Amino acid sequence: MNDPDPDKPRTPCSGNCSCSGGSPTPSDPIGNPGGSTRRAVLKGIGATLGVAAYAKALAPLTELTQQTSMDEFLQKHYKELTKEELSAVLERLTRETKEQYGADVTIADPKPREGVKFGYALNLSICNGCRKCAEACHLENNHDRPSHQSYIRVFEMTKGSMDFEKGDVHYDHPVPQPDKYYMPVQCQQCEHPPCVDVCPVEATWKEPDGIVVVDYNWCIGCRYCEAACPYHARRFNWQKPEIAAAEINPDQSYLSNRIRPQGVMEKCTFCLHRTRNGRLPACLEACPTGARVFGDLNDPESEIRWVLANKRVFVLKEELGLKPQFFYFFDE
Amino acid sequence: MIRVLKQHPVLAWGGLVILVSLSSLAAVWAQKSLSTAEPVESATAKKTHALHPITIKPGPDTPRLDTGLKDSQGKAITAACSTCHSTTTPNPARNTAHDLVQAHAGLNYNHGNLTCLSCHNAKDYDSLHLADGRRVAFPDVMTLCAQCHGTAMRDYLHGSHGGMNGYWDLSQGPRVRNNCVDCHDPHHPEFPLVRPVLPPRDRISVPAEH
Amino acid sequence: MSDPSSLDAGAAPVPAKPVPEWRQYVRFLRNALSQSVEGGWKFYVWMTLLTAVFLVGANAWAVQVRDGMAVTAMSDHVSWGLYIANFTFLVGLAAGGVMMVIPAYLYHDEQMHDIVIIGELLAIAAIVMSIMFVVCDLGRPDRFWHMIPGLGKFNFPVSMLTWDVIVLNGYLIINLHICVYLLYKRFRAQAPDPKMYVPAVLLSIVWAISIHTVTAFLYCGLGGRPFWNTALLAPRFLASAFVSGPAFIIVAIQIIRWQTGRMFGEGAIRTLVGIIRVTILVNLLMVVSEVFVEFYTGGSHTSAAKYLYFGLHGHSELVPWIWTALAFTLVAVLLFLQPGVNRRPVILNTACLLAFVGLWIEKGMGMIIPAFIPSTLHEIVEYRPSLTEWKVTAGIWALGLMIYTLLIKITINVHSRKLRDASGARTVDPEDALSIPSEG
Repeated sequence: MNDPDPDKPRTPCSGNCSCSGGSPTPSDPIGNPGGSTRRAVLKGIGATLGVAAYAKALAPLTELTQQTSMDEFLQKHYKELTKEELSAVLERLTRETKEQYGADVTIADPKPREGVKFGYALNLSICNGCRKCAEACHLENNHDRPSHQSYIRVFEMTKGSMDFEKGDVHYDHPVPQPDKYYMPVQCQQCEHPPCVDVCPVEATWKEPDGIVVVDYNWCIGCRYCEAACPYHARRFNWQKPEIAAAEINPDQSYLSNRIRPQGVMEKCTFCLHRTRNGRLPACLEACPTGARVFGDLNDPESEIRWVLANKRVFVLKEELGLKPQFFYFFDE
Repeated sequence: MIRVLKQHPVLAWGGLVILVSLSSLAAVWAQKSLSTAEPVESATAKKTHALHPITIKPGPDTPRLDTGLKDSQGKAITAACSTCHSTTTPNPARNTAHDLVQAHAGLNYNHGNLTCLSCHNAKDYDSLHLADGRRVAFPDVMTLCAQCHGTAMRDYLHGSHGGMNGYWDLSQGPRVRNNCVDCHDPHHPEFPLVRPVLPPRDRISVPAEH
Repeated sequence: MSDPSSLDAGAAPVPAKPVPEWRQYVRFLRNALSQSVEGGWKFYVWMTLLTAVFLVGANAWAVQVRDGMAVTAMSDHVSWGLYIANFTFLVGLAAGGVMMVIPAYLYHDEQMHDIVIIGELLAIAAIVMSIMFVVCDLGRPDRFWHMIPGLGKFNFPVSMLTWDVIVLNGYLIINLHICVYLLYKRFRAQAPDPKMYVPAVLLSIVWAISIHTVTAFLYCGLGGRPFWNTALLAPRFLASAFVSGPAFIIVAIQIIRWQTGRMFGEGAIRTLVGIIRVTILVNLLMVVSEVFVEFYTGGSHTSAAKYLYFGLHGHSELVPWIWTALAFTLVAVLLFLQPGVNRRPVILNTACLLAFVGLWIEKGMGMIIPAFIPSTLHEIVEYRPSLTEWKVTAGIWALGLMIYTLLIKITINVHSRKLRDASGARTVDPEDALSIPSEG
């Protein structure tokens, strides 16, 4: 926007490209010992054309300044923002949402509650595969509309098998089918999250309440975390999310459901903008069967603790040793 | 030359690879062992102040039969069950869906081996009854369900069956829970088949190739 | 390009000369750069062609940054593609380039000294390319500074990617130091001080192994990707690096000979062919071992290998790639194993080309992509690089070839005394074509 030097922040590489010996037009015209005048003129023309071609080739980068402000470019890591800086960031994000999406939203930053550790359990006996949870996630978290993005993928599994290879996410027939059961998969909020380990810039970390979050304004988009995650829990913003103003969920937070920028990772946060304020996650509220159980693992009286103590509970890919905080169970 | 290459470099390279691997793994391991320290289980959610309630949605009001007629203002005319049943003697033999006649014809009925009078109260059609004969008002229907579906009721009471809305943390807000019959039709309690929503798309919509 | 700091340290002030050392150095750089862009029409055509391809790539990349990575064919299922494939291969090429130093310095093979600098320059060009491929793979290249230690947040030592950043940049600096120092000394017609470069040369050998090991650790440390999760990955990477690097250099030496009309490096080529004969078989053995373990064991962890080699549930996008790679490698093996192959340039170059392309496929499309197919939840989403990705890839390769051409040109100029410090005394024999002195 009011960027004094619009080119600079967006072209960390272009400088590199054009100077590291690429064009036959070094910034050093002196170094032409013994060359004839005609040759010098030709070189001059070549140089001018070369520079013009570079400028033309990289022109799309300048259009980016419409999306990225200087403040965003220089913004510090979430954990290093002072209270004042954070509120300035939230204010800027609110303003940018209005400018770019035309929606009035509130972007808060609820902090983890001391002593609370979130856990989630899912009852495979009663999940009917309606994908209402995936849809609720899509709406709650302001996902890109055309791609049907959602943090939850529901697998239609064949009874008698836990093999995902026999599973199908694209099923489109009335559910539940008699010979099938349904397995929604989302971020398992691992105790030892490999996605956090691999991030080169600490743009993702595990919060004290167990939720693995991403600083969307710090992520560089290398997608190493996406390669590292064994649960297909992470999503990349392959382009700027498209969402109509009227459909935007205005109740947003910095670390969860605010509209993500292009080119960064995102993931399920157990709806921390809701759950840190005591509310249930959107996917749980949408579940018509009550297959989802959410609560505080540190509270021995909580529903989730009752499930862990009384049901046949398992976690996905336990052999990887990542200690998911997301559990599956069966009735009876 | 090749013979030399075959002998020494293997040792030299192998040693170097081992060195590099060891140092990196040691670093990762150090980090892991640091993070294995489990968080201390602290006294959680303070329950000192009053908790918000969990409200279970009440069952249906005493049902009335739609006669199909409209009154002068266009409102449907309904009749209490007892309107007919006070003068009709129930026929306990009619227990399958296709047996049912008159107002009950076409009722989708499929609930185990139960008969109408297992739940409906032959002496008072505006209420229900338990197996031991005690009367149950329609809004309290869950008591009736629970007498057979004990495990489901147990799960329900522990929050692992049945939809809900509101707050997981009752110190911050109330919770509203579905009644059994909000989701299960008592006459055919099996959960109905539904059309799934929002099929996933694997590729984001790609703009025209550049 | 320059590494002045390392030079300052050892450059003793020359009392008699009025011109200070740093001005000499600047003059060297300036002359080197300006002379490197002088050449015949063939040179200009070659460079113009490369520039054009590079510009096409730069433009595609700029569009990708503006419109998002949606212009690539990658997806949340196959989240790394052609860029990371090329990155992996090029790290190997860079490592393989410096492997030539081992015989030269560890075994005092005088013949190899001729080509050491060709390998080191290849390492420089390959590292620059591999870094560019990573940058092009970033969703937010504008946030590259988040990786700079001190300025951003550097997740060291937990993230293997930070190790990679360190070893790649360190490798670039070491090789730049060696090359620039030796060329500068020759430019001044002074004998290079072994203390200034021999430790760096030895370090570069260790470092060459580390870059490829660390790059393999990037992948093989991920428990969620069984296809990569094998301890054999790093050795396999190294073995293949010792094929691709020498193969490239053998061809490069012949091109330089053809262009400059100087005969050199006959013995070096013989040694390189000897190296390839061993390493290409070691690599093949490792591939066979992997394939055996995958298929004999069976189970769901074999899905990726099944998909790669035979296709899975009717999806077979990668099958032609891998069989091409295997066929190329096998033919290359047969050609390399022929007696006297180094005296038959057509066969030799064909073998080098086949080995090079075969490994490019094997370590790219055959190594990076299948780890994502099927996905961690066993969904099969296929990947075929988009036009944008091909353009960017071609652009970076063009830039890499440009860099390599210019570096080689500078080197030839320096060695042929076209480029020299007029005031310098002649202390180095100008006859040896491209050699750098041995430490002994």
